[in-house]
Amino acid sequence: MISIRGVTKRFGRHLAVEDLTLTVPRGVIFGLLGHNGAGKSTTIGMLLAQVMPDAGELRINGCDVFADRATALARVGAIFETPAFYEYLSGWRNLRIFCEYTAPAKEERMREVVKLVGLEERIGDSVGTYSHGMRQRLALAQALLPDPELLILDEPSEGLDPEGIHETRNLILRLNREWGLTILFSSHLLSEVQQLCTELAVMREGRLLFAGDWRSLGAERHWLRIRVDRQGEAERALLASGLVDEFEYDGRARLAPHADVPAIAAWLTTHGYRVEAVHPVERTLEDFYLEIIHSTVGAHCVRPRQALNRDGAHAVRPYTGSEGGE
Amino acid sequence: MMFRRQLHHELVKLFARKRTYIGFGAFVVLQVLILALLQLPKARQAFDKLLSSNGYLPEDYYAGLTLAMLIIEFTIFLMGALYLALVGGDVVAKEIEDGTMRMVLSRPVSRLRLLQVKWLACALYTGVLMIFLGITSLATGLIYQGRLGQLFVYVPHEGLFGVFPTADGLARYAIAVVLLAVVLQIITALSFMFSCFKMKPAAATILTLTVMFTDFVLRNVPFFQSFQKYFITYHTSSWVRIYQDIIPWWTIGESLVYLAALGVTFWVVGAMAFCLRDFKS
Repeated sequence: MISIRGVTKRFGRHLAVEDLTLTVPRGVIFGLLGHNGAGKSTTIGMLLAQVMPDAGELRINGCDVFADRATALARVGAIFETPAFYEYLSGWRNLRIFCEYTAPAKEERMREVVKLVGLEERIGDSVGTYSHGMRQRLALAQALLPDPELLILDEPSEGLDPEGIHETRNLILRLNREWGLTILFSSHLLSEVQQLCTELAVMREGRLLFAGDWRSLGAERHWLRIRVDRQGEAERALLASGLVDEFEYDGRARLAPHADVPAIAAWLTTHGYRVEAVHPVERTLEDFYLEIIHSTVGAHCVRPRQALNRDGAHAVRPYTGSEGGE
Repeated sequence: MMFRRQLHHELVKLFARKRTYIGFGAFVVLQVLILALLQLPKARQAFDKLLSSNGYLPEDYYAGLTLAMLIIEFTIFLMGALYLALVGGDVVAKEIEDGTMRMVLSRPVSRLRLLQVKWLACALYTGVLMIFLGITSLATGLIYQGRLGQLFVYVPHEGLFGVFPTADGLARYAIAVVLLAVVLQIITALSFMFSCFKMKPAAATILTLTVMFTDFVLRNVPFFQSFQKYFITYHTSSWVRIYQDIIPWWTIGESLVYLAALGVTFWVVGAMAFCLRDFKS
């Protein structure tokens, strides 16, 4: 659906995006993660032909977004962090204006979309009276009006209350599952991305650090939380025993391939440690993200933070940009 | 069809804003104020003296048409450039500042088309504002004096002194207002061009006013008399040349061509800046 090849963008002396190559397959909810200034918004801006790249090529559905902007963006909807509208006009008039820059909007379609986002009651009111959540819903409505195949959402949950975040999440899932929309989703809220995205890309300082299915990375590795009375001593002893490959913060341990929970518990008891807890832990996106983002080497190698490491080997699959289909 | 629809929406946006009407309201207030100032004894005496010393009866000319001409002349001098620069400076830069431009450009509309629509909306606004000014100035004079009377025109910096019977005066007044609506497009165009660059709406307005003011001042410096025809304000003044005894159509035509060429240049420069710039939050 989206193909980005070798894209570089500078703003003056600041390198915003460097040699970015990324593919977003059709039908997925794809997360774009990174700190402020990582290059996410610039990438989205380039995808919408709002920011001109210095080098590289961006394609949507096989069409170059700069050479054939009309075709490439014909079925793309976009929402930005702070959606802006003509405050003095009604929501309905705003939808008409935004939509009819490219094609006349059928009233029936407009009503359908307004109903979907739950704005029927207030669509006739001026946008100046809308709350932030209502503006986000109106933004979603304008993005959905051209019957898109691809939705680009730049921080859609920013500034929403928990209920609003929940509603937005459900709507995004629904749009993906029921309407079959491909969704490119940029957010600071890792929990949102974790719940929504099947695949993601992590950027830092304009560079791509990772792209793909983050859950598959390290799925072969089993993680436990181990709590004993003499924690530090036990960690060193377990590493030496070969049952544990690595310790992270807070007693999180990566087991050696041949080890399991009973074996660890038995070993600790046998060696006189008073066991408080030994249980499997699921690796969260936050763990994954922090691990990636704190790497010092770059896109090909990640060093876990504060890790006690037995053999020092901890590699992330290098991203070549050739994975996934369009 | 699509262009008409886009233009319709652009005009809806423009005329649905309260600030758009500030210009209209301000002009009406200024017209009444100028009328009141013209009633001051000293102003009235100067008017009477000017006419009687040239062998004309002041009563014949101190009526609706002459007052309308005086009002429009002062109003344009005081506020014309300001309000046109405000609207022209707002139309692109304000949308960029507010973020609505980014929303619009997420649709596959061409940037050039967008500018064309906005430019045309601005041009229409300028035209409507000037016609409104012409009509309300005449209405103000007419309501105050109750008759059109004959027309007396005096524009010292153009070396213009003219008297016209009612019918001829009214016809010339009408042509002058239409011409005013055309020549002042250049101020909107200049402001529009600046607003296409990366700057705040206020900066576009201030730059436009600076250019116009500098142009006006330099034009009136004796050393630059021989360069008169290169100054914008020389050509924007062509609307008052309608009141010369024999209308200098050729000179007026030259001015219109000069302003049109300048307008096209502003458009091209503005469009290039707009099409090549990045839009980012």
